[in-house]
Amino acid sequence: MNRLLDLPVVRPVGLRTFRPRPPAGRLIIYLVLMAGASLSVLPFAYMVASSLKSYGSVITNNLWPWWPLGDEPIQWQNYIEAVRHTGWDPHWGTWLMVRYFANSLIVSGVIVGGAVLTSLLAAYALSHVELPGRNLVFLGILATLMIPGELVLVPKVVMMFNFGWYNTYLALTVPFTVSVFGIFLLRQHFLQVPRELHDAARIDGANHLQYLLWVLLPLSRPALVVIAVLNFIWAWDAFQWPLLVTRDPSMRVLAVGLQQFMVGEGGVNTHLLMSFATMMVVPIIGLYFVAQRAFTEGFLSSGIKR
Amino acid sequence: MFAGRLRRVLTLLLGLAAILGACVPQAAPTQPGPGGITNPPTTPEMVDAIDLTGKNIEVVYWHNRPQRDQELIQSMLDEFNRTNPYGIRARAEIAGASYNDVYNKINAAIQAGQPPDIAVAYQNQAAFYRNQGAVIDLTPFIKSKKYGLTEEDLKDYFPIFLESDANPQFKGERLGFPTQRSVEVMYYNADWLRQLGYTEPPRDWKTWEEAACKASDPANRKYGWAFRHDASNFASMVFSRGGRILSPDGSAYVFNSPAGVESLAMIQRMFKNKCAVEIPVGERFGEQNRFGNGEVLFVFASSSGLPFYREAVEKGAKFNWDISLPPYTERPAINLYGASVSVFKTTPERELAAWLVIKFLGERPQTVKWAVNTGYLPVRQSAKADVISAFERDPQWGPVARSYARIFDWLQYAMVESPVAGYDPVRTIIDQEVMSRVINDPNVDVKKLLDDAVAKANEILRENAPRSGR
Repeated sequence: MNRLLDLPVVRPVGLRTFRPRPPAGRLIIYLVLMAGASLSVLPFAYMVASSLKSYGSVITNNLWPWWPLGDEPIQWQNYIEAVRHTGWDPHWGTWLMVRYFANSLIVSGVIVGGAVLTSLLAAYALSHVELPGRNLVFLGILATLMIPGELVLVPKVVMMFNFGWYNTYLALTVPFTVSVFGIFLLRQHFLQVPRELHDAARIDGANHLQYLLWVLLPLSRPALVVIAVLNFIWAWDAFQWPLLVTRDPSMRVLAVGLQQFMVGEGGVNTHLLMSFATMMVVPIIGLYFVAQRAFTEGFLSSGIKR
Repeated sequence: MFAGRLRRVLTLLLGLAAILGACVPQAAPTQPGPGGITNPPTTPEMVDAIDLTGKNIEVVYWHNRPQRDQELIQSMLDEFNRTNPYGIRARAEIAGASYNDVYNKINAAIQAGQPPDIAVAYQNQAAFYRNQGAVIDLTPFIKSKKYGLTEEDLKDYFPIFLESDANPQFKGERLGFPTQRSVEVMYYNADWLRQLGYTEPPRDWKTWEEAACKASDPANRKYGWAFRHDASNFASMVFSRGGRILSPDGSAYVFNSPAGVESLAMIQRMFKNKCAVEIPVGERFGEQNRFGNGEVLFVFASSSGLPFYREAVEKGAKFNWDISLPPYTERPAINLYGASVSVFKTTPERELAAWLVIKFLGERPQTVKWAVNTGYLPVRQSAKADVISAFERDPQWGPVARSYARIFDWLQYAMVESPVAGYDPVRTIIDQEVMSRVINDPNVDVKKLLDDAVAKANEILRENAPRSGR
């Protein structure tokens, strides 16, 4: 036991105790950070605010048309109107918005599951299994990151037609169930795990799959969360691909539904568009709050910034 | 070493993409089949010889309208499906939110050898498809005695609408057929104009510029003109000065003419004198909102926006406003907007079925219904009265119906920008390398800018010239 800890605290007579003041430099940093954070929130706040305004208030740039600065009631009905605007799905007997939402959930769920699984297996093979040409394979996989998406878009659509996958969930999900970024992230993470763990598990008789499932997987939770969240966001926001490979409204996703509000040459109902967009981003925000800690840890532990 | 490997991988992938890209359907008419019919049919007689009995063909129509309009199109097609004697079943599908979305999707589908039967396409886009051998000339179908249009029908269509689909790059082939059109008009704030001392909208550019500069008060965010990043605005100005974007035979871009130079110099002056405000690309329909707010005096935009402008003003600054012909020098001119519907090369039977669907959509009841629901112009002269009276009864349109009715009188001045393949990148050049430059640089040489832009545009025109054998 440390005897020093038992000594009574004697305060010098005549001296006041001072809390350490934050230095001025730190205060400035906080202010700058707060300003930056406010700026980041601004578009989101604008979207939510516009979704609750009348069309007139949106086009006249009335920032706060409600009490106490104005007399306009909050336009909750914009949300109902936006849902109605998407049209009716006779097959499910509901508004198409429900269908878009269900499709987005299905597609994002399958893509996340697939991307996590394939990343896990590929990253393990590339980091722990001694294969001839392993690094070359890894380089080849990484190289695909550097090919512009636009370049392979048409060939990929052609493949979907030729496979007979056009207008099916297969076209919406399968091409994205492999994530090169996920493989890269997890491989880097696996390489940071001490090799001794692997050797100890092997001596104890664990095979590759057992080591991956019982040792590496629990250690990789933050990295897996990063892959899951990022792939979810990408899948949830995807517009061009779902548009290109589907034809029926009942096969379309939320981002494609959003285009209903972009009328050709005439004009746009901004308030309804913002209502729809707000409904669309709510799940993403919810997901981020749920996975926030693991998400941050994942980026920190892998040393990757995006 | 890494770079070398990467290059090899990329080369391999690019090679694969190129091979896939080369798998394009050929379009030159095939050897005559049964009954002497080629694919596509090249004479009205060949079309007459096609027998659709018992074929039960399905026709797929790709368009870019929202769900509400999709339901309208499908309801019209359902009527066609019920009434056509050949058992043709037509189905509409939303292929995108914009013409560009549809264009991208069609290009991918062409590569896959699975284009739709018919699709919405601007004339220049149809020319691009034609260059790949993917769309067909509709002339034999239109002239067919059995399946085509009668003389009365043809006279009933607004002549300029029909003419706009005859493509100069392909010897006048009709690569599409009109089912809707709109024009670029000048929206103006009538109350404001009156306050400035003008009793009517300016008819010449000098007066227009003078009024716009009189109205401008940058300190109070008031401007004479809302400048949109849209090559069509520039085209309208060129047309109204007697110029053209493309030569009549489609062989060269000519917007560096004196009309182009004057138009561009005026835009430059307007910004130099702070008489105009730029609407950023990201501010979609920002000019409409600013007009509704009483912040700008003049806007040039599509007539299909009439109900939106009405709503913007009603919910905004509430003033009297109207539309007019854009100002002009000697003869009025107006820019014709609106995509047509093209037929893709499949089989003679399916091509004929596709044509019959388009023909049906152009009939009077359908064109009235479409115009009333979307704000576009009907394609037949006989439909005009029905549409106007429907708008007069509709509270959403109200007094705007009167303005809409006047557009029909202006159609005699309508002009087409450029129906040739590759016009989309030329539009980008006009916006980014010409208009955007002059609004930011009051001293840049406008003639040189236009000469350079025309040289690039003509290079694009050459690259997209019709290939032999297709």
